[in-house]
Amino acid sequence: MMRILKSREFLVLVLLVVMILSVATVNKAVLYPITLINILNSSLFLMLLAIGQMFVVLTRGIDVSVGATAGLSAVIFGFALNAGLPLPLAMLAALVTGLLGGMVNGLGVAFVGIPPIIMTLGTLGAYRGLMRVLTGGSWIESIPQNIKSFAVTRYLSVPLMVWTMVAVVIVVALLLWKLKPARYFYAVGDNYDGAYLLGINVKMTRFWAFSLAGAFAGAAAVVFVGQIGFVPMQTGNGQELKAIAAVVLGGVSLMGGTGSIWSAVIGALFLTAVDSMMIFLKVPGSWNNAVAGFVLLAVVVFDFLIRRTVRNRRLAARAAEMRRSELDHDGAGAPALVQTPEATS
Amino acid sequence: MKLTGFFKSWEFMLAMVLVIELVVLGLINPAFLNIENLLFSTSDFVHVIIAAVGLTLVIMTGGIDISGVSIMGLASIVLGLMFVAGMPIGFAVIAALAVGSGAGAFNGTVIAKTDINPLVVTLAMLFLYSGIATGLPTLLDMLGFKAYGAGGFEAYQYEGIGGLPKSFTWIGAGGIGWVPMPLIITVLIAVVASYLMTRTRFGRFLKLIGVSDQVARFTGVPVQRTLITVYALNGFAAAVAGLVLTAYFTSARSDLGAEALLNIITAVVLGGSSIYGGQGSVLGTFLAGLVLGFLRQGLLALGITSDVVPVIVGLLLIGSVALKIGMGVLHTKRANRAAYETERMAVAQNGG
Repeated sequence: MMRILKSREFLVLVLLVVMILSVATVNKAVLYPITLINILNSSLFLMLLAIGQMFVVLTRGIDVSVGATAGLSAVIFGFALNAGLPLPLAMLAALVTGLLGGMVNGLGVAFVGIPPIIMTLGTLGAYRGLMRVLTGGSWIESIPQNIKSFAVTRYLSVPLMVWTMVAVVIVVALLLWKLKPARYFYAVGDNYDGAYLLGINVKMTRFWAFSLAGAFAGAAAVVFVGQIGFVPMQTGNGQELKAIAAVVLGGVSLMGGTGSIWSAVIGALFLTAVDSMMIFLKVPGSWNNAVAGFVLLAVVVFDFLIRRTVRNRRLAARAAEMRRSELDHDGAGAPALVQTPEATS
Repeated sequence: MKLTGFFKSWEFMLAMVLVIELVVLGLINPAFLNIENLLFSTSDFVHVIIAAVGLTLVIMTGGIDISGVSIMGLASIVLGLMFVAGMPIGFAVIAALAVGSGAGAFNGTVIAKTDINPLVVTLAMLFLYSGIATGLPTLLDMLGFKAYGAGGFEAYQYEGIGGLPKSFTWIGAGGIGWVPMPLIITVLIAVVASYLMTRTRFGRFLKLIGVSDQVARFTGVPVQRTLITVYALNGFAAAVAGLVLTAYFTSARSDLGAEALLNIITAVVLGGSSIYGGQGSVLGTFLAGLVLGFLRQGLLALGITSDVVPVIVGLLLIGSVALKIGMGVLHTKRANRAAYETERMAVAQNGG
């Protein structure tokens, strides 16, 4: 229990609640259930990208192409629907597109050995260009409107998509918790060589992390197109950086091996909520990025300060212990067993 | 450097690629080789090279700064607002450069004083600076300043700030003889950066930090001061790039350069810098920037839509790194082979 309270995810969750409550003192409308549901609903796209991103960052990688992958999947989704494919098949096409996009990244990073940021920056340009080439630069608008039915269906006044998302998050959380290969992501990210010596297929693990990121980007594309009903060229533009910001905010370390799906979920919720709060505070939308950047900076710096304090305190305790044992031995007339670093060098 | 070494270097390869590229494009379309056109077409992309030169210094230390593209827009809008407020243009330029350097120094301070990954810090700064740049005009509105137009300062966010004086736009459109001003500025910055990197203690410190910041600290390198300086220099370069772009477009906008991130990092990496630090050259970045820029110009001149360009740039980025990795593997194999042979001969001689 204490572990949960001390976690970064919990810190950001508390911040989120504090932010919503403090905005509520200015504008009560924030606390209407419909507002909160809407925030949840509009965070779905970023949340899916962030969950995919989490797998990559866990393995000590980074994927700046997820936004472009989502854009490409959205285009394929639109084409598939316009070609008259039934909705489930079109969804599958989008997912497969995303998966393939991620697999290309995975191949380059895991098997060729290209640094993740270089590889995904390259595919970011490639996928985004490909998206424009495929569509000739125009929006895909004449999509059969039945896809929106999926987005507007509500149970207990909560959209079906939100329910689906809850199910997805719970399933992924359970898998990450109980499935042995899922732990490989942590092992590889925490200590690549160690994981290799343990017999883990480190290359495959990295490959699948990128592939999953792509697949989740494909799912995000389905959500996005379902919600707005057409495919604009800007789909996913700049969202890759938001997704990275979300997972880092939620406590996934870029050094790999730490974090959970809750980091991605809470981080994405927070960044979306910030945008909504700006509206309720009547702050012009042009400040959204500044606030998001400031929050991210503040949280990571605060986290650093906490870690430093804890480390310093631990070091001080150990130094005190060493001094004490030295004194004890001196008192007994015996030679000091604990050698100071100066003595050894 | 020995002459044979130079011919084997990455920079020489890039120069060859540049020459081949120009010749091929010239053969396909002779109009492309008009010297004056060729020189003036650089104005379209030199902002990428300026920012990439700054980033080269940062990547040398094993860090990265992706917030440069936001600093470009921030410097541009600061200049524009200063100008609208009635400041002399020279003062506005100095203020914009100071804001850029200050923003960079702030990045450097956070990175040097904490152990947070530079990518995370500058990602936050990317949002922060671009948010401030787009938000500044509306802030002035809220504070009650009056703009001339009906839309207030907020209109500047969409329209950009035009009407900049000739003495400033000359930086973007003017030139000395056949050489356009943006190119002169770029070469100046590249020469200064190259001098810093190869001829000064500061440059050696950068390399040392890139190889190992722990060792650098124990050797007595002022790691924190060096890091703050190098990020400030990067911010300065980004601000210069933003101002050159502003002068070229004759309009100050907060979103100038936002699309340039892929090109900037591609120029640095294609130029031979290692993303892990400790390796890289300003000359390489400069040449790679020219290769990329002319490639884009050439493709557009050939009638290929600009949509394909990022695809090619992306593939080039991945391909160049893959090539380097492949060459490294070959080199290691050859070295191992040679070591094995000498060992075997030594054993054979001793045994015989």
